[in-house]
Order: sequence, then structure tokens, then C-alpha cells
Amino acid sequence: MGKNTIEIEGLKFAYGRDGVLKGVDLQVPEGSIFGFLGRNGAGKTTTIKLLLGLLKPDDGFCRIEGINPQKDAISVRRIVGYMAEDQQMYGWMRIEQIVKWVASFYPTWDSKFTNKLLDMLELPGKNKVKTLSKGQNSRLALLLALGHRPKVVILDDPTLGLDPIARKEFLRYVIGLLQTNGVTVFFSSHLLYEIEPVADYVAILDNGVIIKSERTFDLRESVKKVVLNTSKNDFTKIEGILDASKMEERVALTIENCSAEKINKIKDSYGGFVRVIGLNLDEIFEAYVIGNRGEATGV
Amino acid sequence: MPTIFVRIEPSSSVPIYRQIIDQIKYQVATGVLKEGDKVPSVRELASKLAVNQNTVLKVYNELCRENVLKIERGDGTYVSSNRQNIPAAERKKAVANVLREAAVQAIQLDVSLEQVKELLEKEYEFIKSAKNKSE
Repeated sequence: MGKNTIEIEGLKFAYGRDGVLKGVDLQVPEGSIFGFLGRNGAGKTTTIKLLLGLLKPDDGFCRIEGINPQKDAISVRRIVGYMAEDQQMYGWMRIEQIVKWVASFYPTWDSKFTNKLLDMLELPGKNKVKTLSKGQNSRLALLLALGHRPKVVILDDPTLGLDPIARKEFLRYVIGLLQTNGVTVFFSSHLLYEIEPVADYVAILDNGVIIKSERTFDLRESVKKVVLNTSKNDFTKIEGILDASKMEERVALTIENCSAEKINKIKDSYGGFVRVIGLNLDEIFEAYVIGNRGEATGV
Repeated sequence: MPTIFVRIEPSSSVPIYRQIIDQIKYQVATGVLKEGDKVPSVRELASKLAVNQNTVLKVYNELCRENVLKIERGDGTYVSSNRQNIPAAERKKAVANVLREAAVQAIQLDVSLEQVKELLEKEYEFIKSAKNKSE
């Protein structure tokens, strides 16, 4: 594996006395599309603001392409394209005006490219920003984030409020424009079904820490639900139980790193084996975030 | 431009790459995709489906390994014409793997072996005739 474009270590941040981030560690490999998952209020936007140098951490550090945003926010902004959550733009400007205006901040702005994008994203240059639909608005925000040809693109819940068709279209542009060109994309969302098709990696942020960070494909393959017919109550010998539920003689265990070997061991110790069920990413997310870690079975 | 119709069900517990593989295989089996047809490039299909290019790459690699598709260097990817290249034993094993799942399902849902055989025959004939019609 190559180098990491984004590195976060022990990042802590509190608004007043409320700790939001309690020691976040995260590595984002170069050229990957990285899905940053968490429930509303989990601290995704806070993490992103720290990455851009818009907030100052209480402890720990982060780096983008080796640059510390706390020390050199300007350099970070030059190599990063950022699309804020629910991005507000001046409504009185025309599209072509706002493009020109944002361009003036960046020495590397590529007007040829943005003209092509205006066409491709079907943005009518003469229209005023306040007249745009939500879909057009997010496409314009994407264009403004990409115009200076950044190596890293950070999208904070970019499809928030879009209808399913506009959402898919937006993701299509992300893949077509960014993955093709080797750009690293760090992309937050609380919609798992949206992340899964596009992300090489996913990380789950919960209660101020990263509770899982893995290749999307491996995560999908490694978490399984095992259903047993057993009267036994002690499952402490099984490692990696995320969630357990019991109905009379039937126990359903959601288990991480659930290899064939592990399943065989469970078969041997508990017998009455019923079946192994694959889970979708929503179910896996739920198991990590609100799973009871096996306590419900009464250890 | 060549097209493939693939529908992705995001809430399914079947991984996305597997969903795409299954649908392409189905289309080859039923003759919707014919031997020698050019399929979209990885880039095109990824963009069309709004799916990560690495996922599509994985799909194409797997389908090439199974001789369903064939990459012509510098030209593109095509539906392969010589599935017979795969040893019979391996082809049988691939079918057995799928049937095992069907068997588990049948036992769980209390469908008898006789009924399963009947269903299989029906599906087999249906796909065969769909393929013949499209040829």
C-alpha cells in the first residue's frame, strides 16, 4: 500500500465542556475514495473543520499531504477542494460571476476545465445562484471545489437534501471526475447505502472515536450473523460479538472477523447450528454503533 | 457504445460486485449478451452505475477468470466465445456451489427434492429457450 494522504492521530476537540472528538485516529490512503460514516452529531463535520484548519484541536494532530493545517492552513486550502455541508453561496451572483470570484483566490485555477464542467454539469452561467435547484446548487459547489485541480477533495455530506436521482448523478460525477484522475476523496455521509457502492474504504465514527476503519469489501465480508439453536447462555468464548439477541432456544449473534474457522469453532462448541447470514452495510453499521456486545444473552 | 443493464440493490445482503457478476452472467446465459459483444470499459460502466471503478475492475477480472469475458489487449473487453476452455470439473463445481445455496433454502422452506427438480427444469428450459430465441 502506498502512502496516506490524510493522517489523523489522537485528535480531540470539545465545544465548551462537551467532548465531541475523544481521540480520533484515521489514515486515508492516497487515491482512494474514503467514506466517513457516523450518525448525525457524531462529529464528522467537526473532524473535517479540524482537517481544514477552521478549528483548533484540544489535543492530537492531523496532516494532509504532510501539511499541518494548524500551522499552514493556506497551503492546505491550495491542495484541497472542499464542499461544505449545505454550502451557502451568494444568491445575488450569477453562476459565471461566482466561478470567476472563487477563481481569483486560487493561482492554479483551471478555467478551461471549469468551462467544460459548467457544460457537463448543466449549469447555466447566466442564472443567479438563488434561482438554482438543490441539485444544481450541489453541482455548482462541486465545481467550485474542483476548479483549482485539488489533489484531495473533502465533501461534507454532499448529497444532503438531494433526491435519489440527483444523488446518484452526483456520485457518478465523483467517480467520473475524481477517481479517474487519481484524486483522494474524503466523503462524509450518514447514508450507508450511498457510501457502499462508491467507497474503497469506510470508517465509522461513533461517540468521538473511530470504531472501525476498513476496506468496504472486507467489512462486508467479515461481519456475519450466526443463528444457533442452543440453550447455552455463555458466549464469552466467542470473540468479536457486536450484537446478540435471544428468542427462547434461538440465539442470533452478529460477529466481526467471522472467518470460516471461527464459524467451525462455534459449531463445535455450541452445536445446534442453524445458519450464517450475510448482512448489508446498514445492518453492519447498526451492529457496531448500537450493538449490545452480547450482554443481552446474559453472560 | 456498448451497454449492459445492471440493477444494483443497495439494501441487499449480496455484495455489490456479486450482484453485478450475477446479472452479467445471466445476460450471457440468456443470450442478451452474445459471444463477441463488446462490453463497456471499466470506466464507463463504473460511471454509469455510480459504482467504484475498483469494484467493476474486480467484476471484470472475476468474469475473465471464469471465461465469461475476455480482454483483448488495447482494444476492449468482449463476451468470451470459448467457455469450453474451462475444464468440465471446474464448470460443474461452479454450478454445484450455486445449487448448494438453493438446497439450503429449499430445506429451510420445506420444499421437497421433487419440487426442486421440477423448478430447476423449468428455469433451465426457460433460459435455454430465451437464448435460442435471441440467436
